[in-house]
Amino acid sequence: MDDLYLDNIDEFVHDQNKIVTYKWLSLTLGVHVNTAKQMLYHYLEQKRRESSGTPLHATYLVSGKCVENGSTCHKVSVVREDKLDAVKAKMDVTVSVHVYSVQRAELKDSSPLYSTDYDAVKENLKNCNKYSAIHCAAAVPMSSVELQRAQEMALVTPVEKEISKPRLNESTSATSKPSAKQPTGIMGMFASKNASKSQESSKEVKTEQKDDSALVETSKTKPASKANPMSNFFGKPSQKKVDEKPNKSVKEETDGDSATSGTASIKKSQPSPKSEFAIKEEQSKMSSALKVESKDTRNKSKRPEVVDSDDEKMESQQKKRRLVPDSPPVLNIRTPSPKKQVKRESVSHKEESSEVKRRKRRRVLKSHTFVDEEGSFVTEKGYVSESYSESEEEPEPNSQAKDSSSLKQSFGKREEEKKEKSQKKTSAANKLTKQPSIMGFFQKK
Amino acid sequence: MATLTRQDLNFGQVVADILCEFLEVAIHLILYVREVYPSGIFQKRKKYNVPVQMSCHPELNQYIQDTLHCVKPLIEKNEAEKVVVVIMDKEHHPVERFVFEISQPPLLSISSETLLSHVEQLLRAVILKISVCDAVLDNNPPGCTFTVLVHTREAAARNMEKVQVIKDFPWIVADEQEVHMEEAKLIPLKTMTSDILKMQLYVEEKTQKT
Repeated sequence: MDDLYLDNIDEFVHDQNKIVTYKWLSLTLGVHVNTAKQMLYHYLEQKRRESSGTPLHATYLVSGKCVENGSTCHKVSVVREDKLDAVKAKMDVTVSVHVYSVQRAELKDSSPLYSTDYDAVKENLKNCNKYSAIHCAAAVPMSSVELQRAQEMALVTPVEKEISKPRLNESTSATSKPSAKQPTGIMGMFASKNASKSQESSKEVKTEQKDDSALVETSKTKPASKANPMSNFFGKPSQKKVDEKPNKSVKEETDGDSATSGTASIKKSQPSPKSEFAIKEEQSKMSSALKVESKDTRNKSKRPEVVDSDDEKMESQQKKRRLVPDSPPVLNIRTPSPKKQVKRESVSHKEESSEVKRRKRRRVLKSHTFVDEEGSFVTEKGYVSESYSESEEEPEPNSQAKDSSSLKQSFGKREEEKKEKSQKKTSAANKLTKQPSIMGFFQKK
Repeated sequence: MATLTRQDLNFGQVVADILCEFLEVAIHLILYVREVYPSGIFQKRKKYNVPVQMSCHPELNQYIQDTLHCVKPLIEKNEAEKVVVVIMDKEHHPVERFVFEISQPPLLSISSETLLSHVEQLLRAVILKISVCDAVLDNNPPGCTFTVLVHTREAAARNMEKVQVIKDFPWIVADEQEVHMEEAKLIPLKTMTSDILKMQLYVEEKTQKT
């Protein structure tokens, strides 16, 4: 290939002071991601050889097998150049290393890396994986017929939910609860996942992961995965704080663990094959996670319905004995259904993994600031059980009233605590109808 | 579609809200990137769908919020020309000034459905630019502090002195030395133009910081 790209990258990095990630480069120049990675590598080499002008900083993506907490896992992390050797040394087997980004600034944390890709992916949302190396033949968007069917199913069993689900506990990485959590923005990328892949890719990284168990699960998930592969990426969002600053890691359990937990959860929900895909989570490189992450925010409308239907079907099996027949509430819910879906959409994007509008007790990571004996401020982050109900909603007062009353009835049957409407923490300053998130900041503390 | 004028204070309030939220995030980010405070007090939060660093320290947060609370009425009436975040060294000489030049078009028109998401995108870009600004700036000496200045019209300034918007949070006329910096380099960072808001962000940096 000709060397024009070197000038291009030079312009981006030096003149525009941009962060050039390989994904951004591939989307901007219209090349395959592997080509983009090589371009960045060559550029870096050339500049380092010349050793002129301003220093360049680079981040790398390292993936490999390592043993953590006694279990083997496949770790994918984005590391700064100065930490690269240390991270490589910690891994038993380094499967792949490549340049993730090049920039002039010395990044203190990884947030700008995500921001860089965000808009680029958003622009190309429909075909953001055009240049990607990860492919799944079964992953196609649902047709409108299937979409409708999924929406109807979501209505029929709307309010059943797992009690176990919204646990923000990071410890249980291996046994993922049999439900795909709503993606919670960035946190979804840090989720601990079961590494059962349903996507094959040409990259060498993936070949590591492949064994029979994964293949078996792959074949099972193929029919279901067509529905929504994105939910597979998001397991329980763990609140794992990333200590090394620009170091994102997606840890996965391999093989034996996933197989056993997979089968265990399958047993629980036998009649519903779809639930399998909800259980299965995929190991993926940061690129695909990032891509999916942003894609996911766009496809909010699709996701909640599908995921909920899976979860709810499973739940109905599990909790048959406890449930009082649900038919009366179902009728009430049908009418405000379109608006309810709208609410779910706006709500699904929460960082605190609350799926749909629910009122219940859950353990939430809260920070508590106080002054200790020496007079210094201490901020402790701890899990607190708190009554929590959905905060941000579209400011449609009519539908809100209707919805809450219908929900209230359906919740009446549940064993969880019933909260009054007054306890709903609606974000009061929600003036902007289109973008609830803009005003949400001040309420979300 | 709808064309609202400034008299439609509701919309003016919306713009002021957006801008003040943005300024809060920007100030926190500047404090993080320029290492005015140790990075341990910062925590990742989400704004405009991207991660940003915000401080957890309650007094610092309260100070910034109170500051912006007082600035908000000025923005609503379009009286604030510039909001400046000044970083000063131990002797209270400014070493860096992050200048947000704000202007609002006289006729605010909501001309498109995607206006707010467009604005969000632009603000995201400004945030990103602040994150990488350490590539174009020299390091600050240790022990820096910061303050926020607002450039406004005379009448509004007098008003601010008279009326305490927040109790025990008075605004005073800034010293000349905080307002003007000798031997300053001008480094433009980002310009954003949208239907409801125009903003320019540049940094005045002292040539020799230590």
